[in-house]
Amino acid sequence: MLYRVIDRDDLPSLVAAFMERYEVIAPVKRGAGYVFSPVGSFDEICIDYPSTIASPKKYLLPPTETLFEFDAVENAVTDYTEEVRPRVLFGVHACDINGLMNLGSVFADPRYPDPYFQAHRGATLIVGVGCMPSEHCFCNLMDSEEARPGYDLFLTAIGERYLVSIGSVVGANILEGACDVREATDGDRIAFRAATRARQEAFNPAIPDIQEIPMLMDAFHEDAFWGELGERCLSCNACASVCPTCYCFDIRDTLDPGGVSGRRERVWDACTSPQFAMVAGGHNFRPTATERVRHRMYHKLNGFLATHDRSLCVGCGRCAAACKVDISPIEVLRFFERKGADDAC
Amino acid sequence: MNKIRRPSEGTAPRVVLIGLASCFGCQINITNIEAHLLEVLGQIDMAYWQLTSSDPMPDAFDVAVIEGAVTTEEAAATVRAARERARCVIAIGACAATGGIPGMAADDLAAHSARVYGDAAPRACGAMRAPVPVSAVVDVDFTVPCCPIDPFQFVRVLDAALYGSNRLEATSVLCGECKRNERGCFFQDGTLCLGLVTRSGCGAKCPALGRPCNGCAGLSPDGNVRAARFVAARSGMEVRRFDEALAMFNAVALAAADEEGGNR
Repeated sequence: MLYRVIDRDDLPSLVAAFMERYEVIAPVKRGAGYVFSPVGSFDEICIDYPSTIASPKKYLLPPTETLFEFDAVENAVTDYTEEVRPRVLFGVHACDINGLMNLGSVFADPRYPDPYFQAHRGATLIVGVGCMPSEHCFCNLMDSEEARPGYDLFLTAIGERYLVSIGSVVGANILEGACDVREATDGDRIAFRAATRARQEAFNPAIPDIQEIPMLMDAFHEDAFWGELGERCLSCNACASVCPTCYCFDIRDTLDPGGVSGRRERVWDACTSPQFAMVAGGHNFRPTATERVRHRMYHKLNGFLATHDRSLCVGCGRCAAACKVDISPIEVLRFFERKGADDAC
Repeated sequence: MNKIRRPSEGTAPRVVLIGLASCFGCQINITNIEAHLLEVLGQIDMAYWQLTSSDPMPDAFDVAVIEGAVTTEEAAATVRAARERARCVIAIGACAATGGIPGMAADDLAAHSARVYGDAAPRACGAMRAPVPVSAVVDVDFTVPCCPIDPFQFVRVLDAALYGSNRLEATSVLCGECKRNERGCFFQDGTLCLGLVTRSGCGAKCPALGRPCNGCAGLSPDGNVRAARFVAARSGMEVRRFDEALAMFNAVALAAADEEGGNR
């Protein structure tokens, strides 16, 4: 990996350089929170944001996406060729970059490559930015506190400078064209180490570090704990709406008002939705919230590993912030912390 | 999508639109699709629509669209007759779907009537009965919820009735849909919002416009009222306030649940 140093004051010209050729998506303030949104100038960007309400996933896997259009009278199908917009996701945290990597490994599966996701991904540059953990962050426990591949540039603040990790030629060219790029000095390296040390120490100590999570998930599959979560689940799917790695969808047809032409759309769906596991004939093989919540946690903390060799959950903590009844992987980690403790009953 | 066979002249599906106890706002809202109204009407034979024509209701029709709650024996008879004749019944709007606003009178109808009309209700009121949604009187094939309906959702449901559909109505509640809009949560500043238990599907339009959900889409069959009360209490609200707010569009469902001794 190649590293360079730029001044904090260089950021506006870096963003401006991206804007010449790309739509720039970045964290902005909205109400009491932050959201990823298209921006028109650097001044709109809140680069030191703690987290966003929902993840930047929405730009690669839109909540509603047309797959093709049809004529229902002629029984004809038109391949949908939406022009994919070249974009830069600017200011993405490491957890989300890892989340996008997870989505990539799903949608790039050679058995079922997904042209829609890949078209968006192929037209998207990612500029990551280092962050300080907030209350619900546990990326460090999900092996997602660092972005290794998965970005074009990654900026880590070191005082009034940024150490820039360069992940692609495109990223390097834009960086060099827009900024006064310098080699890192010994002082920069020490500052970088100080920054990573400070970050490492800032994670919420109340979120327990549990080893062997996938095996514990299997071991306590029948525990009454899941019933407690199920009893308070609102069946709202807020967790899935904000999650950077939920990728399930439903397919539905939408006719235009004239009843002739229409669109086949895929729309976000979630395993916490009561009808998610309903099959033809009306049988629902996860009819209770308990089964649904448990299934969600299994996929996040256990099931994905079998095929993709890493946990699906990246510890971004958004679901913990979004859930009104405190259901999140953090609660699962706390449950494991209680199990087997000397003073457990 | 199944291939759609266009009706030849004179064989378009006959649709009737029946208005019961309601403000007629849902019917009005159908006309608000303006640019598309003729396209929609072009697919059907609109055989009866009191709002637009004084032609009487025909004896035979294919699809009955019913707006409003059933509040009289006469209305119940109308609904039963419509069910017998139509192959498909669509309930539109909160009143038809949940009992809605008229449903608030369901609890102790006699006292409500006495307060408004004194000793005897005028004849024009008909034989009053405790208001109920259409589905309490006959089987309903499709429901378009909300107060008022989203007219485009109505058109999609009408399409489903005419041509079939691969859409499954979800019973997940509104919070998750609202989160997609990334507008924050009313509970954070102590404002009561019924998105915790109200059926999703509307796109959380009101919260997106800065108004909390008032539950017009109706309590979801999978709504977890007990957990929602806990959320309200934890956010510093009286549970009684939550219950009162929920009753506005769900009085009938809540009364039925109470009778069953349920906890919801």
